[in-house]
Amino acid sequence: MTAKLTLEDMRADIAEMVYDEPENIELDDNLMDLGLDSMRVMTLVERWDKKGVELDFTRIAERLTLRGWWELAQDAQGLSQ
Amino acid sequence: MSEVYPLLETQEGLWFAQRLDAMNPLFNTGQLVHIQGALNMALFEQAVNQTLLEAEALHLQFREKDNGEVEQLATRSDPVKLELIDLSQVSDPDQAARNAIDHYTYSPDDPTADTLAVEQLFVLGGDRYIWYRRVHHLLIDGYGMTLLNNRVSELYRELVEEKPAGSPLGSYASVVADDANYRQSSQRGKAAEFWQQYMAGVPEVVSLANGRAVSVSRFHRQSQLLPAVLLNSLRQRADSAGLPWPDLVTALTAAYCQRFIGEEEIVVGVPYMGRMGNDSARVPAMIMNVLPLRIHEPLPEQGADAFFKTVARDMFRARRHGRYRSEQLRRDLGLLGGHRRLHGPLINVMPFEKPVRLSGVETELEILSTGPVDDMTFTFRGDGESRLLLEIDANPNLYSEADLQAHQRRLLSFIEACLQAGDAPLSSLPLATQEEQQKWIRSVNQTEQAVPDVSLPALMANCFARYADRPALTFAAEVGGTVQTLSYAELEQRTRALAQQLQQQLQTDGAGKDQLVLVSLPRSLELVIALLAVVRAGAAYLPIDPAHPDERIARIVGSAKPCLALIAEDQRARLTAVSGMPEALAPRQWQHSPDESQGSLPEVDPANLAYVIYTSGSTGEPKGVMIEHRAIVNRLEWMRTQYAFNERDRVLQKTPATFDVSVWEFFLPFISGAELVVAPPEAHKNPADIAALIRRFNISTLHFVPSMLNVFVAEPSAHGLAVQRVFCSGEELTQGLCERFHQTVSAELHNLYGPTEAAVDVSYWQAKPGDRRQPVPIGAPVWNTRLYVLDEQLRALPAGVTGELYLAGRQLARGYLGRDDLTEERFIPDPFVSGERMYKTGDLARWVEGGVAEDGVVEYLGRSDHQVKIRGLRIELGEIETVLMASGLVEQVGVLVQEGSAGQKLIVAYPVPAESYDETKLLAFARSRLPDYMVPVALVTLPSLPVTSNGKLDRRALPQPEMISPQGRAPIGETEIKLAALFSALLKLEDEISAESDFFALGGDSLLAVQLMQRIQVQFGMDPGLGALFENPVLAELASLIDAGHRETDNGLQPVIRLAQGNDNHVPLFVVHPAGGIAWCYRQLAALMSDERSVYGLQAPSLDQGQPLPESIDALAMTYVDHMLAICPDGPYHIMGWSVGGIIAQAMAVRLKQLGKPTGVIAMLDSYPSECWRAEAEPTAEEALGALLAIAGFIPEDYPELKTREHIVEFLRQSGSPLGALPPVVLDGVIRVVLDVNRLVRGHYHQFLDADLLHVCAALDHQDSELHPDLWKDYARQLDVVNVPFLHGQLTGPEASAQVADILLTRMKAVEQTTD
Repeated sequence: MTAKLTLEDMRADIAEMVYDEPENIELDDNLMDLGLDSMRVMTLVERWDKKGVELDFTRIAERLTLRGWWELAQDAQGLSQ
Repeated sequence: MSEVYPLLETQEGLWFAQRLDAMNPLFNTGQLVHIQGALNMALFEQAVNQTLLEAEALHLQFREKDNGEVEQLATRSDPVKLELIDLSQVSDPDQAARNAIDHYTYSPDDPTADTLAVEQLFVLGGDRYIWYRRVHHLLIDGYGMTLLNNRVSELYRELVEEKPAGSPLGSYASVVADDANYRQSSQRGKAAEFWQQYMAGVPEVVSLANGRAVSVSRFHRQSQLLPAVLLNSLRQRADSAGLPWPDLVTALTAAYCQRFIGEEEIVVGVPYMGRMGNDSARVPAMIMNVLPLRIHEPLPEQGADAFFKTVARDMFRARRHGRYRSEQLRRDLGLLGGHRRLHGPLINVMPFEKPVRLSGVETELEILSTGPVDDMTFTFRGDGESRLLLEIDANPNLYSEADLQAHQRRLLSFIEACLQAGDAPLSSLPLATQEEQQKWIRSVNQTEQAVPDVSLPALMANCFARYADRPALTFAAEVGGTVQTLSYAELEQRTRALAQQLQQQLQTDGAGKDQLVLVSLPRSLELVIALLAVVRAGAAYLPIDPAHPDERIARIVGSAKPCLALIAEDQRARLTAVSGMPEALAPRQWQHSPDESQGSLPEVDPANLAYVIYTSGSTGEPKGVMIEHRAIVNRLEWMRTQYAFNERDRVLQKTPATFDVSVWEFFLPFISGAELVVAPPEAHKNPADIAALIRRFNISTLHFVPSMLNVFVAEPSAHGLAVQRVFCSGEELTQGLCERFHQTVSAELHNLYGPTEAAVDVSYWQAKPGDRRQPVPIGAPVWNTRLYVLDEQLRALPAGVTGELYLAGRQLARGYLGRDDLTEERFIPDPFVSGERMYKTGDLARWVEGGVAEDGVVEYLGRSDHQVKIRGLRIELGEIETVLMASGLVEQVGVLVQEGSAGQKLIVAYPVPAESYDETKLLAFARSRLPDYMVPVALVTLPSLPVTSNGKLDRRALPQPEMISPQGRAPIGETEIKLAALFSALLKLEDEISAESDFFALGGDSLLAVQLMQRIQVQFGMDPGLGALFENPVLAELASLIDAGHRETDNGLQPVIRLAQGNDNHVPLFVVHPAGGIAWCYRQLAALMSDERSVYGLQAPSLDQGQPLPESIDALAMTYVDHMLAICPDGPYHIMGWSVGGIIAQAMAVRLKQLGKPTGVIAMLDSYPSECWRAEAEPTAEEALGALLAIAGFIPEDYPELKTREHIVEFLRQSGSPLGALPPVVLDGVIRVVLDVNRLVRGHYHQFLDADLLHVCAALDHQDSELHPDLWKDYARQLDVVNVPFLHGQLTGPEASAQVADILLTRMKAVEQTTD
């Protein structure tokens, strides 16, 4: 089963939101420190929703790292971790 | 087993607010979900109950510990559960459900006692349900409600579809831990710093309406779903601007608010969820925060993108610090206490809120309330894609339903226009909707009226014929002197004769079209004859004030080039020497009888000039305004019809001919058949003369500029005058002056407005008694006239928004004589009526809804070029003048902004001292009434104010001030020096404090007084008490009191308190406490008397719990008389009391008479005999408590939300009243007295007082009640009633005190003179 949303997709989308290069987004960076805020997080959640990956904003808001989000994205896509 | 937690920092603000206002049901937040479909009720119940169980916050209860700390308990013993309510069998299940929901929604909860969460499912039948939730705001915020909804849908789906639900909701303990961590964190310190810097130099908060922004128990709501097409463009626009769409919505709404408010910078509130990246992200709890967002007016050329990005960037930066509590920020910024605010309207975009999904059924979410509504909240709910709902909630005390509807329409139309305008500057978009533009440009200006297109002479010809034998013109050279009168026939002859002579002199064949005849004559028959003759000759008159300097007259003559002059004999030599002066005719050279062989005078073209009046220009160069017959005929015909002038009218002519108001005085009588009475020269400056003239000639109509009217109503002989109409114009008419006018004179009062450039007046408004509008409107347009309030781009503004006033229509002047450049600048094309012009007044104004025929009226808001801003704050100098006048310490006053040595702007007042003038008192009074930035920093006394020839204040002639310097000797000795340091620290003064400084005069208020006492306690180990400070506010006195080891604490509640120390050559005034037993309320009155005599307050002995309650009023009176005799053995005794105090005062006077002691002035402030109260119902404890507020100087009716003793005490503490700081035992005393007073009054029977009784009646009250001063008639030898224009509750306020002090001082002196 192929992922609708890959880790690298997420990394790239986040980088775009904070005007940075994907390689600069580390798995355990605090994304708020990189400049994400609630409104931008909302925008990402909506974008991913359109790709067919439904993430719960409240759970996304709880853990602000790419690693945490990728775990949620894997769950949502039924991918084993 | 229950957990105990401290109150979260996030809850503290709400906790305090709900304690103040516990009966307010708006502290409940509520929602309902309409469900349609095959709901599996059992599984739904299971999902909901599981969610409720996970949400610890819903089980919280609060308790207050003895030390004032608050803790919360999460108890699990009795979990909140879904209640099922089956309404399927009732006849109207929807209504039944609504009723039940309303009941819950509007029942306030006590967080220390009640269950604070309710969850219900109403079964309506036919697969329809309403799922209702109500939770106290202390427990949850909007985001938390969403968390609950999401969790229920997830659990329900798990049960129905067997899809695994995610993890449970987070624990409340983690929120508590997180809150505690944040309080200690460096993050919080950084946030404090960030906000401190962010808010530096912030302007005073203004909102979309003025007034106290305190939530009441309900709110208005206006909701509308945004159309899908608008959502599309919103999202596209957000993409093109590179912003998240919610930020764009916030920026657009903020831009709208800024435009509406009209300030260069405003502050809105925006919410911060406070949950990103912490454990509370999945915990229902009260965490959300509202913080200020500063919005600057977009630059005129700035593209919209740049504005949006600035707003988004500011929010982005602030979000990192969004957990910093707004209550803490208010404390940091010193905005606590009173009603100082952190932000204006709230803009709340909630993109997280999604439709509630329940497997297999349709749902619709409805948010009922989200907490108290202080001001106005714009909420946008929804994901912005499928749905976005705009909800405007507003405080009904500040906004009407109509206001909300208008805001909704206007905001959406503004947003729509912005979205369509691409990157065009926001300033290029109109604020008003199409509909509003139509209304405020067209509808309100539908003034078309047929007016004959004729000249002034043609208009007058009718009356000359019709009223030939009636008196036309009367003149008395002196007020009481002999009178000359001309009949209409005589006036016709005299003016025709002179007109013929002028025509010959002007050497024209036919009318002297647009030729000017200079007229410089004192008020006299000849002046009127001259003006009429000039216009009858077809020329235009040019009035000149001979008092003006030669140089100014020469400049006018040089530019106007009159062909001829009509000059008084005694000015002839001087004026004819002025360069450019034409040939002059003095009255004795005038023909008296017309040459009948010449036939009638030729017709005058209505397009000819009728007069040219010079006004001073802002540059100092006078400008000649050219008015055509057509324009002034419109003005006169309107006035004649509007006010029904006829041959029974007598109009007083007292305005100088150089001021255009005089034009209607001169001509209106002669188109109405009325009589013109010309006042003697100079009489217009003397109010007594004016009053005498009105009486002598039975004047029906006259005009005042407001500053003269102000002097006039203070003139004793003006009292009781009756005329038909008084017109005011030329300056701003204040509401206070209207009230004083109606107290003094019986007449209609009409406020007219208009510049010389539009033929005298273009708008009118009747200022009726009891109308409390402030400002007094200038009203609606006169015939054939249009008033426009426009923004800088000449676009119509909606009602309520300040802009510049433009005038158009038939009355516009032709322009400025010989100044085409200026004419072009001020008379510009009317953008709304092609081919017409409009005149730019330079006046600020706004339309307000309602008024004449509900069409709306204009309010004048000052000059745009005289508008003063200090520290970014708009200042109305007129407002400062009004306050200084109200002190009663000055006869007249002008206020001006001068530039200080460092270029700073300084407010300087120029008082003309009254007898009672005292600089310190005047400043203290100003400080008590004005925000600090409006208090003058210098006073320059003048013997009289310089006025322009039109009688207006000549601001340019006011001298430069010398700054107020600290006076008096420096503090000496340890106590004084320490005390001076305390004064300067508390009062935040940088200047040296002198030993003679008065704590209150330096700006100390009651709250600071309490603090001063606390610090004195710390530094000197003793507490002299508030009473001592009231008595000894001067530093040196207070210091000696401390040095004298004044160790007994004077709490200000002893039976006798000296309120003012005055001259011992005069006997003191004794003032008797009102219902609360405390006499502090007379402090302002006492301060105003302290120059002359001491004032002692008599206070209830039962304030001391150790003392028994008094037996009766008579017993109290005996005790009080004993106190008086001890202080002042001989008398005469002056006694005054407010309310119940007046009843006691009368009883004291009776007692004095029994003892054979001399009584002086026995006065009551709006007291009524006890029989009025015997029949009334017992007051509730609530009403009795209201007296506490009154004692603290608040009007209880203004604070309906304060119902219990706790509320009131809390409120008093917050508002800085010293009462709030009193120890509970003392407050108990006050409450004890308050509650007992009723018994005393009901049991009291008045005895006859063989002396005069003065009753000062609060004339604004009791208009429809049974209470009347005459009720005292049987209880006194003679009753003397003085009406003052105040409410009962205002009688000890600063304005009323000034008047009461005057009344009492005069009478006490009079009594003492007769006794001596």
